[in-house]
Amino acid sequence: MSENQVDLNEIDRSIHDTKNDSDYSNRAKIGLTPKIIREISEEKNEPEWMTNFRLKALDIYQNKPIPDWGADISDLDMDEILTYIKGEGEIQNDWEEVPEDIKNTFDSLGIPEAEKESLAGVGAQYDSEVVYQNLKEDLVEQGVIFMDMERALKEHEDIVKEHFMQLVPPNDHKFAALHGAVWSGGSFVYVPKNVEVDIPLQSYFRLNAAGAGQFEHTLIILEEGSKAHFIEGCSAPKYSVNNLHAGTVELFVKEGAELRYSTIENWSKNMYNLNTKRAIVEKDGLIEWVSGSFGSKVSMLYPMSILNGKGARAEYTGITFAAEDQYLDTGAKVVHAAPHTSSNINARSIAKGGGHAFYRGLLKVTDSADHSKSTVSCESLMLDNESKSDTVPVMDLNTDDIDIGHEAKVGRISEEAIFYLMSRGISEEEAKAMIVRGFVEPIAKELPLEYAVELNNLINMELEGSIG
Amino acid sequence: MYRKEYLEKKSMFDGLIVENVIDGNVAESKLNEIIEKFDAIEDNKELKNILESKKQDFFKNGVFIKAPAGKKYETPFELNYDKNYDNNELNDNNLIVAEANSELNLVVDYKNNDKEVVHKGLNRILVKENAVVNFIKVQRLNDKSQNYDANLSIVENSGKINWISIELGAKETTASNFNLLESERSQADIKTIYFGDGERKLDLNYTVQHFGRHSKSDIESRGVLKDKAQKVFRGNLHFKKEAKEADGSEKEHVLLMDKTVESDSIPALFTEEDNVQGEHAVSAGQIDENSLFYLMSRGFTEVEAKKLLVEAAFNPIFDQIPLNDLKGSVMNEVKRKLE
Repeated sequence: MSENQVDLNEIDRSIHDTKNDSDYSNRAKIGLTPKIIREISEEKNEPEWMTNFRLKALDIYQNKPIPDWGADISDLDMDEILTYIKGEGEIQNDWEEVPEDIKNTFDSLGIPEAEKESLAGVGAQYDSEVVYQNLKEDLVEQGVIFMDMERALKEHEDIVKEHFMQLVPPNDHKFAALHGAVWSGGSFVYVPKNVEVDIPLQSYFRLNAAGAGQFEHTLIILEEGSKAHFIEGCSAPKYSVNNLHAGTVELFVKEGAELRYSTIENWSKNMYNLNTKRAIVEKDGLIEWVSGSFGSKVSMLYPMSILNGKGARAEYTGITFAAEDQYLDTGAKVVHAAPHTSSNINARSIAKGGGHAFYRGLLKVTDSADHSKSTVSCESLMLDNESKSDTVPVMDLNTDDIDIGHEAKVGRISEEAIFYLMSRGISEEEAKAMIVRGFVEPIAKELPLEYAVELNNLINMELEGSIG
Repeated sequence: MYRKEYLEKKSMFDGLIVENVIDGNVAESKLNEIIEKFDAIEDNKELKNILESKKQDFFKNGVFIKAPAGKKYETPFELNYDKNYDNNELNDNNLIVAEANSELNLVVDYKNNDKEVVHKGLNRILVKENAVVNFIKVQRLNDKSQNYDANLSIVENSGKINWISIELGAKETTASNFNLLESERSQADIKTIYFGDGERKLDLNYTVQHFGRHSKSDIESRGVLKDKAQKVFRGNLHFKKEAKEADGSEKEHVLLMDKTVESDSIPALFTEEDNVQGEHAVSAGQIDENSLFYLMSRGFTEVEAKKLLVEAAFNPIFDQIPLNDLKGSVMNEVKRKLE
């Protein structure tokens, strides 16, 4: 036992679970009716088509059943969730003008560090409205658009109308319909033809206010031959009322374009994270997902890549860490819908302290996807005897000239490896921690430095004193 | 009910208890032990589902076989179902108990003439301490027939069940294989071959539940799909809590020979215990081009070369069929299908 052993339960989560006393101007909207939807839309000054879209989505939401598979979400009382909370701060371009208490929250999350010179811009979502947006001037000159969705709807209505919820239509599932009805905030990125954005675009989401749902919409469009890296980070303070996150991410990767989408999600441990993420990739395009799922009470998250053009590629690298009282149901979905497409999925999960990590994946090869290739690899590490780890990868192959490989493994840290490290003078705790760090290394190395550091800190915090 | 060959070979089955099962009942009531054992399994949804869905259809006629403690029977016992035809239905409900330290080889070959048949089969096997049961099932009903069967086992201390399951026939087949490794060092070994051609539909479900410490399982499935065949393969490995040092692996390899086939694979792992080794692997694709090219460069035609490569993949499993004439006719059937 090392000296710095800490019981995980005693770890002060207050850095991540901070709540500020914000003055919410639109607080009292509980439950969902067409009237509330109209009010939301009116307040946002939205065009009529969007108001109608919301109402149609609400109708679908009310008629769709709750999914009968996966996590138990019966605790979630939809009527109790405040769907729309607007913080006192308006959208800001200058950090100095951001209200003090909001700033404090971001400070404790390390946003200013992440925002220094090397970063292109930050659209940090504080509750439902984006409070801070910034984009380097040279990107603006190249025609890159990076703004919050509300503004994009006003300034680039045609582009938004053409793409909004086309990839994840409201009738996809109940929570997509809910999202369509009440979406608020989120980021909009448009990269013109052949423009390469060489610095990552970031947005940091955060949920405040008890019972607040977060329904941000992220829409990213990469025109032919362009390149970008988008980073989404999530963190939420902890409250007693169950919280719901039902955001949607839609990524359009046109011919020859390359997009990397990185996420570290660290929701507080009462959050229901039911996010929908989907990308469509045209000829020779590339989508890379880097995904870290920590936190939350329940997560059901399956980023999907539709390889729609010849030679399109998808890569998925994901880590899921399920600790006490958590059920994290995650996985990658890939649809090969064109010839010579390829995908590579590398998913890892860790379960500890009674947590339940579930990998649920789909690989579909349609009859027009000849010469496609795919490899899927899942590894699960169990750190104790109370936890659960499940793997259910579905492979649905509809043509013959393909090359598919899948592998999965589950197990605990090998005693031989521990013994070896201990024989070299390393303590048992440290040896185990080293092995776990090695296990997540493939994901950590895909992240930009400050996020990799955050990931490492999260893992260290979760691990210290918790294994063995 | 059971074959006259058995009576002829009776000297080879000295001491083996063989009784007819009529309408689900075994003549000697104490022999109902196996039914009770299966019924006594609590909270096992999967097993209950298999049994419940089949009870009405399945609790019909079959054979009860019990190998007494310590007896080892090398000669394969052929289960016969010839008299189980009821109009176009073929039902068999076989109950098998291998007492401690016994060894039993069982072979069942489901086939028919050109008449359309619906086969509903249920085999329940109880493998006691240190006993070994080898169960070889060949299904080659004609292309008009339907096949639904469930093959279940409970394995006690250091016992071992070895399944060889060969699915060649029937228009539609749904085969469930469920094994409960109840106690320490129990083992299940499942080898399966399927051949989907024409418009054949196969739904294959293989489950092993590890309860016992040091229990061990191995599922290996090899198959070929051509024409418009459809197949779903489900492999479920469950590691229950306290199944310490259990070791389970499932592998599926499928050869896709036409654009029009449909192949679904769902190899799942469910783990509640950290001290286990579990893995699964699936591969799907065409015949290895290099091997094909090599064989063709040695003078084989493409069809011959493909045949050789498929046989090479299947033969290690066929070799474990203990009856030479059955082995020969199964191999010929595969060859014919590859023409």
